[in-house]
Amino acid sequence: MDEKDLKSMIENILADMTDDKKAAATTTTTDTRSAATPATNDSTVSGDVLDDITKIDLKKQFLQDDPHDREGYLKIKSFTPARLGMGRVGTRYKTASVLRFRADHAAAQDAVFSDVDPQLPKDMGFFETQTTCTSKDEFLTRPDYGRKFSDETVAAIKKNVTPNPKIQMVVGDGLSSAAIEANVKEIIPAIQQGLKVYGLGFETKDVIFVKYARVGAEDQIGEVTGADVVCMLVGERPGLVTAKSMSAYIAYKPTIGMPEANRTVVSNIHDGGMPAVEAGAYIAELLDKMVRLKKSGIDLKAAENAGA
Amino acid sequence: MQDDQILSVGIDLGTSTTQLILSRLTVKNFAAAFSVPRINISKKEVIFQSDIIFTPLASQNEIDADAITKFVADQYRAAGINKSDIQMGAVIITGETARKENASAVTQALSGYAGDFVVATAGPDLESIIAGKGAGTNVTATKRRRNVVNMDIGGGTSNLGLFSDEDILDTACFDIGGRLIKITPSTKEITYISPKVKQLIEKLNLSIHEGMTITTQQLQPIIDVLVNVLENSIGVGEKSPYFDLFITNHALHPEHKIDGVTFSGGVADCLNEELPADVLRYGDIGLLLGYGVRHSRIFKDKTIYPSVETIRATVVGAGSHTTDVTGSTIAYTDGILPLRNLPILKITKSDENLAEDELAQTVEEKINWYKVQNELTNVALAFTGKHSPSFSDIQRYAAGIVKGAQVLIDKHEPLIIMVHEDMAKALGHSLFAKLPEHYPFVCIDSVKVENGDYIDLGEPVAGGEVLPVIVKTLVFG
Repeated sequence: MDEKDLKSMIENILADMTDDKKAAATTTTTDTRSAATPATNDSTVSGDVLDDITKIDLKKQFLQDDPHDREGYLKIKSFTPARLGMGRVGTRYKTASVLRFRADHAAAQDAVFSDVDPQLPKDMGFFETQTTCTSKDEFLTRPDYGRKFSDETVAAIKKNVTPNPKIQMVVGDGLSSAAIEANVKEIIPAIQQGLKVYGLGFETKDVIFVKYARVGAEDQIGEVTGADVVCMLVGERPGLVTAKSMSAYIAYKPTIGMPEANRTVVSNIHDGGMPAVEAGAYIAELLDKMVRLKKSGIDLKAAENAGA
Repeated sequence: MQDDQILSVGIDLGTSTTQLILSRLTVKNFAAAFSVPRINISKKEVIFQSDIIFTPLASQNEIDADAITKFVADQYRAAGINKSDIQMGAVIITGETARKENASAVTQALSGYAGDFVVATAGPDLESIIAGKGAGTNVTATKRRRNVVNMDIGGGTSNLGLFSDEDILDTACFDIGGRLIKITPSTKEITYISPKVKQLIEKLNLSIHEGMTITTQQLQPIIDVLVNVLENSIGVGEKSPYFDLFITNHALHPEHKIDGVTFSGGVADCLNEELPADVLRYGDIGLLLGYGVRHSRIFKDKTIYPSVETIRATVVGAGSHTTDVTGSTIAYTDGILPLRNLPILKITKSDENLAEDELAQTVEEKINWYKVQNELTNVALAFTGKHSPSFSDIQRYAAGIVKGAQVLIDKHEPLIIMVHEDMAKALGHSLFAKLPEHYPFVCIDSVKVENGDYIDLGEPVAGGEVLPVIVKTLVFG
C-alpha cells in the first residue's frame, strides 16, 4: 500500500467517524473501497489537508457502533479523559484510536526530548543556569546530575541573584519543556500579583531558570541563596492526556538530602486541570502561609489542621 | 482542613400547614491531602423535624405572626439549639399564604427571628424548585436521565418543577390544592371556598356556596375540572376550558419533553387507589383530589417515580437544598460577610470579551439599570469568565470592572464579583491591586447565576476556603 492509498483510507475512515448517520456504518467494506478510488483523485487535485486529529475532544469522541445508550455513555465519558467507548475492529482498536494514541504519544515524547525555547528565559528576564548534566541523554539517564550545580554555577548564582530573599522562584524544564512554554508566562505575573496582597514579592531577574532540572535542584538553590521559601515550577513527566502539565514544588528552607515530606506540591497545572493564573494566585497564598508559619510539606499540613 | 458543618433551617409557611426542619450540611474537601482544595457539600442530614401545624391565621386575610414566632421558638427549644447556632437557611412563604395582607411583614420579621442569616423568600417559581429538590426529583432525573417533573400539590397551589439532570428546565404554578374548599367534617358544612373555585362554580352553574352542607357527589364536577387542569399542566388529556383560570403566574413551556412525574405536597399522601370511607375527614377536598389524580391520565401516560419527601418536600428543600458552596480558590476581604439579597447583574458573554474601556462602559451602563429612584443599590456583578484565561485576560477583566464600577466604589459599596469559570482567586488579586487600599470586595467562582437571580453569601466555612451561597432563582426565560 503506497502513501496515497493510505491517505485516502484514513480520509474515508475519518469521514465515516464524523458521519453520525447509521447509513455509513451499514455500508459494506467493499463499497467503501470502491467509493475511495474517485476520492483519491479528488484529493490529489484539491490538495486539502486532513483535520488535526489531536484537536478532537476525547471526552466527546465516541466510536462504539450501535451503542445501547449513547447519551448515557457520553455522560460517563464527560467525567474522564480516559479513552472509553473507542469501539473495535475485530480484536483491534479502530484506526482513529490508534492514530490518536500515536499522536499523543509523540507529543509526550517531544515534550521530554526537546529543550525549552531558548528565547523564553531571555524574554522573561530570568537568570539562566544549567545543572551538571551536559546533554538531554545524560539528564534522562542520570537523575542525580539533574539535582546538582557546578561550583562555577553556584558562584554565578551568588553573584547575580539577590541573597537571602523571603521567596526564591525557580523554573526548571524537568520532563516537559512544553509545560514550561505553555504555563510560565501566565503563572509568574499571577504569583507576583498575588504576593502583593500579602506584602511579599520577587523580581523576575532573580528567578533562576534551570536547564536539565530535577526537583531536587531547588534544595541546593535554597542553600546557596539562603532563601526562606523556594518555589520551583517544573514540567511534569507527560502522559497521554496532556504533555503540558506543570507542578510547583515548594519548600521552607530546603537543604540537600532533606526528606521529600518537607515539600508541598501544587500539581496538575495546565489548561485541562488548574488554569495557570488561578494556580499562581493559589501558590501566592501558599507562599505567604509558609513564610508566616515557617513550615512546608507535612509539617505545614499538621500546623494547619491543628489551627482549624 | 477538617470537615466542617453548616447548620441550616428551613421554615415553610404554606396555605394549610407550617413546618420547620433543621438540617446539618457537611462540607468536605474531596481533594487529596496535598492538592489544591476541592470543597463540596458531602452530606445533607435532616436532624430535626417539627410537628406539622395548621398555618395560624388571625383572620381569613391575615397571618397570626405571634403564633408563628411562638411556634419557631418552641421548635428551637425542642431541638435544643440557639438561633445563633444557625448559619444559613430559608423561610419560604408559599401558596395562598403568600397573598395574605401581612405576608411580607411576617416573613421579614420571622427571618430575623429565626436566625441572623436566614433569608426570607417567596415566589411560586422558587417554591417549585425548592419543592422539587426536596422531593428528590433532580436526583431521579439525573439517575434515570429523563426529564422529570415534580408536582407539589399543596393546600392552595400546585407547584411544578421540571428537571433535566440537576438542571431546572422550567417551573409553573396553578391555584389547585386540597384546601380550596374547607368543610367541617362532622356537619359537612362548607366553611370556605377559594375565589377561583367560586368563579368555576359560577361558570359550571352549580349551586354550591359557603355555609351549605354538601355531599361528595356534588363536589365531583369541581374535582373533575381540577384533575383535568393538572393533567393539562404537564401536557396530558383534553384541554380544559378552565385551564387558564387556574394558572397562578405561568404554565410550563410546551416544547419541553416530560418523561416522568414525581408527586409531593400534602395531596401526594392522598393518591389512593380506593376512596377511603370518610373522605371529608381532613375537612377539605384533599382525599377527593388525590383519588382523582391517582385515576387520571397522568398515571396512565407517564412514568411515576417515588419521591423522597411528600408533605415535607418544600420545607426540606428550603432547609437542605438551598445552600451551596463556592469554588475553593476565591478571594474576599475580612469583615464584610454575610451579604444578603444582592441582585445579580450578569454581563453577556460577548460584552465580556470587549477591550478594557468598552467593558468598563458596559458595566457602568448596566449598574445604572439598578438605580431605584436615583439611588444606586449594590449588585453582584456576574461573568461567565474564560476557561484557562491568560494573565492579560485577568488584568483586562479587573481593569474593566474597577473602572465600570466606579459609581459603586465612590459610594463605598463592597464590590461583589462572581465568575462561573475557575479564575476568582487570580481575578481577586488583580482587583486588590487596582482597588483603593483596604477596599472591601468578594470574588467567587463556580456559581452559576443569571440576570434576575438574587444571591446571599454566608460567613466563610472550611477554614475560610469557601463561602456558603444561596442562589434565589426567581425568573425563567
